[in-house]
Amino acid sequence: MATTRHHLDPRAWALPALLVGLWALSSYLGWANPDLLPSPLLVLDTAYAHWQSGELTTGLQASLIRDLSGFVAGSLVGFGLGALLGVSRLAENLVTPTFNTFKQIAFFAWIPLLSMWFGQGELAKIILISMAAFIPVTLNTFEGIRSVSRELAEVSQVLALNRRQIWLKLILPSAAPQIFTGLTLALIYSWLATIGAEYFLSAGAGVTNPMLDGREQFDMALVIYGMLVIALLGALFNAIAVHLERRAQRWRSHL
Amino acid sequence: MKNVLKTLAPLALLLSLGAQAAENPTVIRFGSPIVGTGNRPVAYGSYYATAQTKALFEQEFKKDGIRVEWNNFKGAGPAVNEAVANNLLDITWEGDLPALIGKAGGLNTRLILASGFLNTYLLVPSNSTAETLEDLKGKKVAVFKGTAPQLSAAKILAEHNLKERDFRTISMDGNTATAALTTGDVDAIWTGSSAYQLVDRGVGKIVLDTRARSYELASQGFVLANEQFEQKYPHIVQRIVNVLVKEAVWSSEAANKSKVLQLWAKSGIPYSSLARDIEGIDLKRAQSPLLDPFFLANIKRNAEQAKKLNLLLGDVNIDEWQKPDYLQQALKEVGAEHYWTTYNAQGQPQG
Amino acid sequence: MTTLTSTSALTSRPLWRWRPAPLPKVVLAFILPITLLALWQLALQQGWASPHILPPPQKVLQRLWALAQSGDLSFHLLTSLTRVGWGFLFGLLIGIPLGVVMGLSRTAESYLMPTFKALSLIPPLGWIPLLILLVGIEEALKIIVISKAVVTPITLNIFKGIRIIPAGFFEVAKVNRLSGWQTFHRLILPATVPSLFTGVRYGLSNAWMALVAVELLAASEGIGYLLVWGRQLFQLDLVMACIVIIGLLGLSCDALLARTEQRLLNWRRSAY
Repeated sequence: MATTRHHLDPRAWALPALLVGLWALSSYLGWANPDLLPSPLLVLDTAYAHWQSGELTTGLQASLIRDLSGFVAGSLVGFGLGALLGVSRLAENLVTPTFNTFKQIAFFAWIPLLSMWFGQGELAKIILISMAAFIPVTLNTFEGIRSVSRELAEVSQVLALNRRQIWLKLILPSAAPQIFTGLTLALIYSWLATIGAEYFLSAGAGVTNPMLDGREQFDMALVIYGMLVIALLGALFNAIAVHLERRAQRWRSHL
Repeated sequence: MKNVLKTLAPLALLLSLGAQAAENPTVIRFGSPIVGTGNRPVAYGSYYATAQTKALFEQEFKKDGIRVEWNNFKGAGPAVNEAVANNLLDITWEGDLPALIGKAGGLNTRLILASGFLNTYLLVPSNSTAETLEDLKGKKVAVFKGTAPQLSAAKILAEHNLKERDFRTISMDGNTATAALTTGDVDAIWTGSSAYQLVDRGVGKIVLDTRARSYELASQGFVLANEQFEQKYPHIVQRIVNVLVKEAVWSSEAANKSKVLQLWAKSGIPYSSLARDIEGIDLKRAQSPLLDPFFLANIKRNAEQAKKLNLLLGDVNIDEWQKPDYLQQALKEVGAEHYWTTYNAQGQPQG
Repeated sequence: MTTLTSTSALTSRPLWRWRPAPLPKVVLAFILPITLLALWQLALQQGWASPHILPPPQKVLQRLWALAQSGDLSFHLLTSLTRVGWGFLFGLLIGIPLGVVMGLSRTAESYLMPTFKALSLIPPLGWIPLLILLVGIEEALKIIVISKAVVTPITLNIFKGIRIIPAGFFEVAKVNRLSGWQTFHRLILPATVPSLFTGVRYGLSNAWMALVAVELLAASEGIGYLLVWGRQLFQLDLVMACIVIIGLLGLSCDALLARTEQRLLNWRRSAY
């Protein structure tokens, strides 16, 4: 399947340009209620003001630190559990049904419980975010390690490798692409969880603040600016994820 | 032997100094469930709020090198409870419902001061045709669940033979409720003393309020201390209570009324709106910190009603909960033993 | 239950070399949950955690029972299910045609996909403030948010599903002079069924997530509303009961989906 380089294709910009054009036109001509649809210039103004005042930077910093902390914590735990499940069928049979049930619970339903157990501060947020990262990493690590082929296992027996060597030279390299996929997914999910955490567990600086404040203050321009920031960050994470996934594919094809 | 003693002596001195230093906390964490407009951390409505605005505790404990931390929760009472449950606060102010819920739920708080009666209001959008509760049946009503206005509202509904289920009740915090009222997304909101600012802004009009029967229907305010903190640092708690009682005296003076309102207005709520809320109310009695029989009888009544209305699961032993020792001591030290009237359980002045 | 190996007649394996047979998977599956429950009870008995932070399991069950008895459970459950149902339906109605159009036409893909992807960069949660200001907090809000959450996986999966149909299939269709509709009906549709199911699976879990999110924010009934009630009034037994309900719902949806998928795939296999 050809991967079209969308951003180079002028047709990709046709629809967005049309929509932005309509937006600008309707606010210039006063077709829409300015409270519900502020002019694009106003949104840019708000963006500039937030950047100037340093609010954007503080918010970004806070959100990204949370995101990263949760991502790392969740991935580490997920890797550990996934590895255990991968090597031990007993562990797999004991744990996977419970894990699958746990996975089914709509993610945001945990928020009230977390806030009662840990308050509304950073700890609760980071725990939420690590939960989001934990799930894909566990699943993919498990699959990756489990699918280390039989032949490789036999080779290790023939070569009489000790446990450490088996892990380092055999299992991990073979499972690496799949584990990478897990980490890529975890990156995306932890970002989504970061937004959720900031939304429901109040207080603190963050990237969602403009959006939430904008709703309370009826400042539509602020809301739209907030959404744009989130979209841009989402694009960034997506791009990183795609890049990592390509790396993983190349890895895989080398095996 | 002498050498051993020589080396041990400075160590012993250090240890004893350390032990003395352990008698004071490094930080005192105050909590408040009230935020001003735009979520600014300025409260209003009580002497506890003005103590924050005037930075009285920062002044009091500066010489001891104890830091003072204030946390205003836009999540109101429930958020304060969550923080207390996680031992993140030492002294808090809470409305009756969240305080009772917290205590019944097992939070280790001690009631150290009373803090007034706060009115509850039912507002509808200014262009609404609804005039009574019955008009609003089946309509969308916003109340912040778990906060004092919810109990107040429930008591009023019970009197009209109505239940929360007769309406489409949505839980919203103060700012969200205001926004929803403005856009007409909800048909009514239950709110506290910030109601008049909505009226003055032309956003809503009052359909019901508790001002005529404050002492039965309005919400009580409590100043609570985290039991752990209180047991460890009773002398600090005494000093805190002294500051608060002094401030309560100052707030009760009729001459200071406008100054009090000005301080409250720093929250962003206009002076005039706040003034209208306390119009015709005995400010001295409203600011009384006394844990007198009337106040305690009201707590008992509120707890029973909350339980009946399924807002409270569990019992509160008021005699175990209250710790009036600090109050008594403070009244002596401040010289205010006879400043406020004590009311008996029937609401009659006694003594 | 020992395996005195079935071939013991043929081999001379001594009887004392038995190994306990592995427990059936079903039994193993319950060991962990039961252990956790036991730990839960122990924690309460030993006072490791106070009952207001960790309600006893019986209390949670009692609460579930009380909810069921009073009719509250069915009321709120039905409301939430209805919302998910409508949201999911609209998600399908928008997502499938969109995916098909972009899948079949590279032109359409060039024009539409970039914008589609850009819009899906903002998670449903991110759309809520905007939507609240635009449509208020009625049912419309909930259904729009849920549909948005469903559209993305459905569209993308259908799109992928069509794209991976080997070109050879289309040639076969051309050779056999199949009309457009027949090509669609007999070729494209069946070929996209597995991708559709992947999309539906993700769409459904997204739908539940979006439902809970929106009900936590602006609802007067529903499971999310119950969660808010539990949180605000510090009733952890209610919060846990809701989590149990949501978990069971998720499980049953998934099981239903798996069964339908099996059925359809069997049909597919038999069709060839």
